Amino acid sequence: TAMAARLLLRAVRPLLAGAGRGTGLGTAFSTAPPPEKKRWLRAYLELQRLQAPPQRRSEKPNWDYHAEIQAFSHRVQENFALDLLKTAFVNPCYIESEEARRRQLGLDKDAVALQLQDNTGLAERGLRFARAYLAQCFEGAYPELPAKGIEALVNFLTSQELVSYVAQNLSIQDLALCRDFPAPPDVLQRTFLAVIGALLESSGPERTGIFVRDFFIPQLIGKDLFEIWEVVNPMGLLLEELTKRNISAPEPRITRQLGVSTVLPVYFVGLYCDKKMLAEGPGETLLAAEEEAARVALRKLYGYTENRRPWDYSKPKQELAAEKAISSN
Amino acid sequence: RYVRQLQRLQLLFSPTAADARGARQFVEEAAQDFARQHPDVVLYVSPRSGPGPAPVLRAEYLNGTVRDELIASKTSEEVLQLATKLANQSGLDIIRIRKPFHTDNPSIQGQWHPLTNKPSILTVQGPRLQPQ
Repeated sequence: TAMAARLLLRAVRPLLAGAGRGTGLGTAFSTAPPPEKKRWLRAYLELQRLQAPPQRRSEKPNWDYHAEIQAFSHRVQENFALDLLKTAFVNPCYIESEEARRRQLGLDKDAVALQLQDNTGLAERGLRFARAYLAQCFEGAYPELPAKGIEALVNFLTSQELVSYVAQNLSIQDLALCRDFPAPPDVLQRTFLAVIGALLESSGPERTGIFVRDFFIPQLIGKDLFEIWEVVNPMGLLLEELTKRNISAPEPRITRQLGVSTVLPVYFVGLYCDKKMLAEGPGETLLAAEEEAARVALRKLYGYTENRRPWDYSKPKQELAAEKAISSN
Repeated sequence: RYVRQLQRLQLLFSPTAADARGARQFVEEAAQDFARQHPDVVLYVSPRSGPGPAPVLRAEYLNGTVRDELIASKTSEEVLQLATKLANQSGLDIIRIRKPFHTDNPSIQGQWHPLTNKPSILTVQGPRLQPQ
């Protein structure tokens, strides 16, 4: 850091030397830069720079939109049709603000109308495809999970916070054209879904499916089923599931208890069907423990426990191998 | 899939200063090859004339961190090495890592709690029942 300070102050010495020479000898050295930046002025300009409002990356120096879009498509390792990708980043609020600005500047009506298209169509198509593909994935992976559970998972994965978080970390907030800065999460969500729609148009459903799988499904790592899916009455749901499988109703019994007469008791309630244990759950009160046991039983039945097999990310190669095997035989 | 965390590299140097010689040689010789090998990094070359601050290689990452690396009095190969190092980094802060290990699954068979190996209240303990 000392070397850095010395190097950064290297520029100061010729300026100060120029100032000294300028005041001392008059116009003898005309090549010295004018003594504008006094020490106190530099401190004030630094303060102004730190207190300036945040600006879009496109308004800062060194920005090439076309190059950035090409780099984005390489970063995501997908082949995009570039004009579709450029329409995917154009938001309706941007078009409205641009037209309003042009009208304020007093241009004709022909010049006011922009030649750009919205990303709403692409966004809708992307959303529909993403939801359908994710629902298909979950139906294949967790066949026991009911439709409401799958819907809750898909809603969580296409929710604003998650999609805008993924979009932020893929630098979509720099490339998206919108009216406000920083871009609000629904704009980021719409832009990312429009990117998925553009990929669907350019590369077809298989590659887009792999893209959706690679970017959305890792967001489920470490998440529990009932954090995502709000179930009000797990016991009732459990009874329905058991009647569907023709198992008798569960009998809750206290398995273990600790500290019954203290402030923090712990009860372990086990659910027994035909005197065989279905699940066991802890809780502070007996009711809470019974509800937790019902949730553990539901997790076991739906196959969404913590020790389930991790997600299989290798399917397309298996299909390709199967196709090759079929074509070779 | 792997997404390279480096978004863009800005090479800010002066075309006349003596310590920016390595940067100028890098731009002449190796910058195009570097850009071709890393198509997902946008390389901006901006020479700023006049006596300005020292030549710097500014790296911007996907999570927003901006890292400046001084390339004053470095040779072209050193600048290339530095650029590849920045391209393979993520944008996380370079601070001391407290422990060299981390796991998402700290317990495989379930974490021990005081009731793990205690028999439950319901198990009946008594003389062994004779088979009939």
